Amino acid sequence: MAKVLFEWDYSSYPGAKAYPNLFKPIQMGNLMVPNRIKYAATEDNLNDHNGFITDADVAYMRSRAEGVVGGLCFMQGVYMDEAGKGQGYVGQAGCWDDKYVEGLKRIADAIHGEKAIAGFQLMDCGRVGAVEVESGHGPSTVPQRLRIFKPMFEMTNAEVKEMVQQHVDAAKRGVEAGFDVIEISGIVGYLISNFLSSYTNRRTDEYGGDIRGRCQSMVEIIQGVKEVCGPDIPVGIRLCSEELLNDVKGNTPEESMETYKIAEEAGADYISCTLGWQESIFPVISRDIPQGNWLYLAKRAKENVKIPIQMAYRLFTPDKPDKAVADGELDIWEICRSMIADPLMPKKVLEGREDEVRHCVACNLCLARLFRDAPMTCYINPRCAHEHDENFTPKPTEEEKEIMIVGAGPAGMECAYVAAQRGHEVHVYDKIGEVGGTILDASRAPYGDEELMTCVNYQKTMCEKAGVEFHLGEEVTEQLIADEMPDTVVLATGPVYPVIGGSEDRDDVVNVLDVLSGKAQVGETVVVYGNRKPGIGVALFLAKQGKKVTIVGKEKSAGFDINPSFKWRYMIYLKQNGVMAYNDCDIEELNDGEIIVKTYDGYRFPVKCDTVVVSEREANESLKKIVQAEGIELFVIGDALVPRNLSSAVHDGYRIGLRI
Amino acid sequence: MPVNAEKEITKLWRNLHNAQSEICKTFYRWREVAIEVAGPDVKPLDIALKAAEMMGKDMGKNFLPRLNWLKGEETFMMNLGRALAGIWVTEGGTAMADKGENPGEVLIRCTRCPWPTAAKEFGVPMEEVALTRERLFQTILEDVNVFFNINLKIEMLKAIPRGEGEYLLKLYKEN
Repeated sequence: MAKVLFEWDYSSYPGAKAYPNLFKPIQMGNLMVPNRIKYAATEDNLNDHNGFITDADVAYMRSRAEGVVGGLCFMQGVYMDEAGKGQGYVGQAGCWDDKYVEGLKRIADAIHGEKAIAGFQLMDCGRVGAVEVESGHGPSTVPQRLRIFKPMFEMTNAEVKEMVQQHVDAAKRGVEAGFDVIEISGIVGYLISNFLSSYTNRRTDEYGGDIRGRCQSMVEIIQGVKEVCGPDIPVGIRLCSEELLNDVKGNTPEESMETYKIAEEAGADYISCTLGWQESIFPVISRDIPQGNWLYLAKRAKENVKIPIQMAYRLFTPDKPDKAVADGELDIWEICRSMIADPLMPKKVLEGREDEVRHCVACNLCLARLFRDAPMTCYINPRCAHEHDENFTPKPTEEEKEIMIVGAGPAGMECAYVAAQRGHEVHVYDKIGEVGGTILDASRAPYGDEELMTCVNYQKTMCEKAGVEFHLGEEVTEQLIADEMPDTVVLATGPVYPVIGGSEDRDDVVNVLDVLSGKAQVGETVVVYGNRKPGIGVALFLAKQGKKVTIVGKEKSAGFDINPSFKWRYMIYLKQNGVMAYNDCDIEELNDGEIIVKTYDGYRFPVKCDTVVVSEREANESLKKIVQAEGIELFVIGDALVPRNLSSAVHDGYRIGLRI
Repeated sequence: MPVNAEKEITKLWRNLHNAQSEICKTFYRWREVAIEVAGPDVKPLDIALKAAEMMGKDMGKNFLPRLNWLKGEETFMMNLGRALAGIWVTEGGTAMADKGENPGEVLIRCTRCPWPTAAKEFGVPMEEVALTRERLFQTILEDVNVFFNINLKIEMLKAIPRGEGEYLLKLYKEN
């Protein structure tokens, strides 16, 4: 009989009726998991640089454990060598000595405190490791394709055997710390995947050669870890179902499936199905990839092995995984970024509060931060990685205020519901008749930007539930402020657009939002002024309509404000759509049918155009002096303060919502 | 103010050429420093070759993200040849890559090279210029070979500093 750690009965919850397949048990090895939900191991850079667990990481994990409502909750992968060659992140937890067990136990206890199953992951980062040392290790010395990673050198046969033992020893420490499941990471360029791949493994000893030889270290690790775990602790492995490394002679999909079969033969109790490496030239998890795009890989995995298959990768909402489980294509829904954005996401789904889910917008800021040695953060969840910090926790106000928020965009609405939850009386005004502000139009840009609206939808729901009163279609004027005399005014009015060409009345100069909303007429040859994300978004929007588009912008590189993990996609799209970008440039003159571009160092050249679309933005000073003159407490947030992005708007709004 | 295209292009061109000529001069200035620091026991040619190796190693790293085996061996070789010729072009030379006589062979031809002129100014032997160029290209290939698990060679058949009127390099796959 399978072991049950915690009793869960979901039968009375609405989510279990809506998504019955996600809330039914599954046996994994000899362990019964009450549902099909797993918070997948994710690095967060929250631990100290010696690998010891911090309060921040414990709190971070506790909130994710609460979210999985009895399911699997995995802490980040630990590195296992004293030399630190396997350490890929500055805040990665260590496990190469018994001294780490105490800290790891805190994580296991925190997860158990939420009646969830505690998962422990072994992760030598291999080719993408050595974050704090000069060089890394791997099966063979293959130069790095990406300069961000350190040079790596071939391990001797003895070193491979030592590495296998390190996995076994670390697993033993994980068990001692109280974890219930042990997982081996063999994905995206980490050490085990380096051994499996024909791209990085050119060894001629027993750890190289054909696919069986390349799997040998993995087999020894699985068998060794199984031995120390005993029958009651399942041992799983994360493996690439496709490496997407054909351009550098990586494994074929058939070889990848062979690794699955070999892992199963070696005794793995489940496989977490992933795809792509950090070096792959194909996108996998960015917003331009449709939701559910990769489910066919889970299905293929299930056709090749009998053990449970788990998968994340662009499965942000419960409908698709629920159906996939029902159709026998998937066994467990792994969640990673979606629970960074909202740690309680599955819990809200279970409780029928799906409208309260703050959805991930797949911007990949979380990943970009990790690779730049910064602690985890989330584009749209200001509390992420601050779960332990009292200053980030909303507390009831001691002095109830009447707050007027001007602007129902993401900054204004974030501020509104947080302030209202704390006990303030909040009124949100917007001159247009719907909520969303800049995002209403910005979300019309191509390549997945419609997902940005999920943030606005979440905020609207939260505002309504917190009792925020909306005054939509009502413009805030000096008279209105004088009549209402609120205690506090928050200006979240969004940016203004600079006048170029000397007049606001020119037909050939329009702003980015009017173009995206369809209000403005645009010619066939267009210059977009501004090379940040709004400029790139509208340029692609127009180019996809067949227009000839040129971007002229002051930033040294186009899209400098986009996360590097996503920016490369936009650069490819600009090229594919024939958009030329003149960076480090300004518009010097606007003539009939052309503009004169001036480079930063003074060169001038003409560019033909019928229409100039202004996407450069400036802070919005309107109403500021009026509010100050009335002696009312004033906050300015979002693009009205400094034009930036959705994330800054949300974070500004949250912080001011806490402070008022 | 209307744009005077001739004036703008002339200005741009002049500045580009100045910047290009600085590339060679900067290298030879550093060569003099290195010779002085290394002392009389080290041969200037060894210093130049070592420098070529280090530069080639670094340039090779830039090649890796841009090459794609999926495009087939012939296209791969031609793209690599063009990238190698591009190094000369960036420095102010005239170079191009073409198919060679045999399958999988690419010829890189450079008919104008700024290095010998700069070398003369600094009193550098012409043979050193030729050998340094060859070493640079060979070192670039080292990482490319390991990365793609292939065995490409590059051989200098002609060199301007040897009085042969042009550089001719053969890029080929060794079986």
